[in-house]
Amino acid sequence: MTTTAIPAESKRATPPAPKRRPKREREGAAWVFLSPWVLGAVVLTLLPMAVSLYLSFTDYNLFDPPRWVGLRNYTQMFTEDPRYWRSVVTTLTYVVIAVPLQLALALVVALALKSMRRGKAFYRSAFYAPSLLGASMSIALVWRAVFNDGGTVDNLLGTGGWVNKPGWALLAVALLTVWQFGAPMVIFLAGLQQIPAELYEAAAVDGAGKWRQFLSVTVPMLSPVLFFNLVLQTIQAFQVFTPAFAVSAGKGGPADSTLVYTMYLYDRGFVASHMGYASAMAWVLLLVIGIVTVVLFRTSRSWVFYASEGDR
Amino acid sequence: MPGHRTKGFCASAAALVLCALLAGCGGSGESVGGGKVVLRYTWWGNPDRAERTEQAVALFEKQHPDIRVQTSFSGYDAYKQKLAVQASGGDAPDVMQLDYRQIDQYASGGVLFDLAKQKTVLRTSEIDPGLLDTGRVDGVQYAVPQGRGTETVVYDVKAWKDSGVPLPKWGWTWDDWAEAVRALKERTGKPGATDPGQSEDSFEVWLRGQGKSLYTEDGGLGFTAVDLTRWWTFTDKLRRAGAVSSAEQTTQIDGTVENTPLGRGTALSDTNWDAPASGYLAIIPSGVALAPMPSGADGTPGQYFKPSMFLGVGASTSHPKAAAQLIDFLINDDEAAKILGATRGIPVNETIRKETAPLLKDFDRTVSDYQASLEGKLKDPPQAPPSGDNALQTTFQRDYDQVSYERMSPREAAENYVTEAKAELRS
Repeated sequence: MTTTAIPAESKRATPPAPKRRPKREREGAAWVFLSPWVLGAVVLTLLPMAVSLYLSFTDYNLFDPPRWVGLRNYTQMFTEDPRYWRSVVTTLTYVVIAVPLQLALALVVALALKSMRRGKAFYRSAFYAPSLLGASMSIALVWRAVFNDGGTVDNLLGTGGWVNKPGWALLAVALLTVWQFGAPMVIFLAGLQQIPAELYEAAAVDGAGKWRQFLSVTVPMLSPVLFFNLVLQTIQAFQVFTPAFAVSAGKGGPADSTLVYTMYLYDRGFVASHMGYASAMAWVLLLVIGIVTVVLFRTSRSWVFYASEGDR
Repeated sequence: MPGHRTKGFCASAAALVLCALLAGCGGSGESVGGGKVVLRYTWWGNPDRAERTEQAVALFEKQHPDIRVQTSFSGYDAYKQKLAVQASGGDAPDVMQLDYRQIDQYASGGVLFDLAKQKTVLRTSEIDPGLLDTGRVDGVQYAVPQGRGTETVVYDVKAWKDSGVPLPKWGWTWDDWAEAVRALKERTGKPGATDPGQSEDSFEVWLRGQGKSLYTEDGGLGFTAVDLTRWWTFTDKLRRAGAVSSAEQTTQIDGTVENTPLGRGTALSDTNWDAPASGYLAIIPSGVALAPMPSGADGTPGQYFKPSMFLGVGASTSHPKAAAQLIDFLINDDEAAKILGATRGIPVNETIRKETAPLLKDFDRTVSDYQASLEGKLKDPPQAPPSGDNALQTTFQRDYDQVSYERMSPREAAENYVTEAKAELRS
């Protein structure tokens, strides 16, 4: 394969370059076809981002023109706003609870589905359904009712309403996310089906039990997929908004226990009309997510195994 | 199969395009007035208020054949956000219903029209001067109050009477109130009241009872962390004794009567505004009554007649006269008053108030009688709260949550609140 491909490349380079005009025309056509995306990216993403970066250095209440305040929003955030730090801690707690639980559940269900002989398609759809439903406001409201005083959970466990207990409310929010494990599950399932059966056969011949096979074959072979899911879900978890908003009836309560970062950001921006402060919060969040992602990529070198590495 | 898919795709694409077109047509069609002056008038409220308002507007259009009024309404939260976006985009409606908390922000943001420029059309002489002043910012009349309300202790009549605890009456103090809720807890086993610690409004009544105020004249904080610590210590003690609602119950308050402890059947009274208290009737069949708010130790009343809502004119309107005519009609016209009833609180025009009072029915009547019983006894309302108040109301509840869930002492939470409030009011 490779030997035939290389001459093909060099052959293309040898004929004299075509006249300039057609090339420019080709480029023009490319831009025409790209324009919807370029327009969208510039007008709807890049421009608003630039504006929000500018606003983060201003005091802006939507009515009066923005007033330049330098770094004040940032210093106020870090030194004068106890609620800001509480929202940071709440968000980190949420990430630490929701992400591992969700990934573990997705993996367990994917493993169960993989070994299933009949009805796989049905169960796969059934387990994926919450991911489609869960994003809707109505499900989040039902969730609030289920975990409220006199709700299903209260009746079954007699614990009282979780949504009114500061120690429990965040767990109810996290469970709503965990329940939507469909997307990582499908990706895990695809990853599991890529693992060659010979590896399991070889392991079985060597006398490895199911658990040993899981640890020594499944986990390393699945680690790139696991890593992908981990990065994706972590990024999403940092930006959690809808479940926390709906389960706490828009208040982030009780006692700020579900006031996650984006909810506090929304509160500052749209309720208190401090768009400058909210923009600054958004940029800090962007930076933190960036840093966390970089850290995850760094650690991945020590635990993610790519099959292609074996060749080197 | 592919053919099928294409057909479905085409159909949905066509539907989408059609929707977009229809929406576009709807928008442009509405703004053509056929040579008439077209006014946009927006308000928040429930369907009942909407129906009565539409009727009144139809009458106005009949009286002014050259003016057409385009109306729209929604619930308060949605209305507030929509109006904020419209106003910041320079697209405020010609006539808009406003809340007390919005006036300062919109007036200083240049969103509202100076109504004095149309005073020949918009008559305000029949409105109590103290009440009218609530629509002023920096000496300019930016809005006219449309109805008035006041705070009340709304209580479950039957439960309260059965317990034998003396009924609340004019002139009772906060100490009397505390004694009553303790006695109710002892005799009925239920908390006597909603924990008022979470309510900025109740705190204001308590504060005014001591001759202080929530905000100073120049929009600064009118009280200290010491005052707030005393208030929260007072309510926290009662909560620990079970005399007022528990933290789990109090935190569920969300602005609807259904989710207050009284509405949920877990407390025997509530501190609320008088007009919305009608909602309790549907939940508590044995009936509720309205009592005055407790006063200060020396009998100083803390509650006041507050404009329940205002009407303002957009600064960018091209028809200020017509807009003023509409407001004048809604406030001063006899026929309009008959149609509107007490749907926006008790009318502010004093002649009309006296004329319509005997015509009111059911709970409208209860509210009217309650307000009549307070007539002349209350102090002037404070001026419109500063812009930051809108956000501080939520902050107040959040900080008290920390107290009622016993995560902070009243002093800690009060100091936090004062710090936050100062930052909020500074900007």
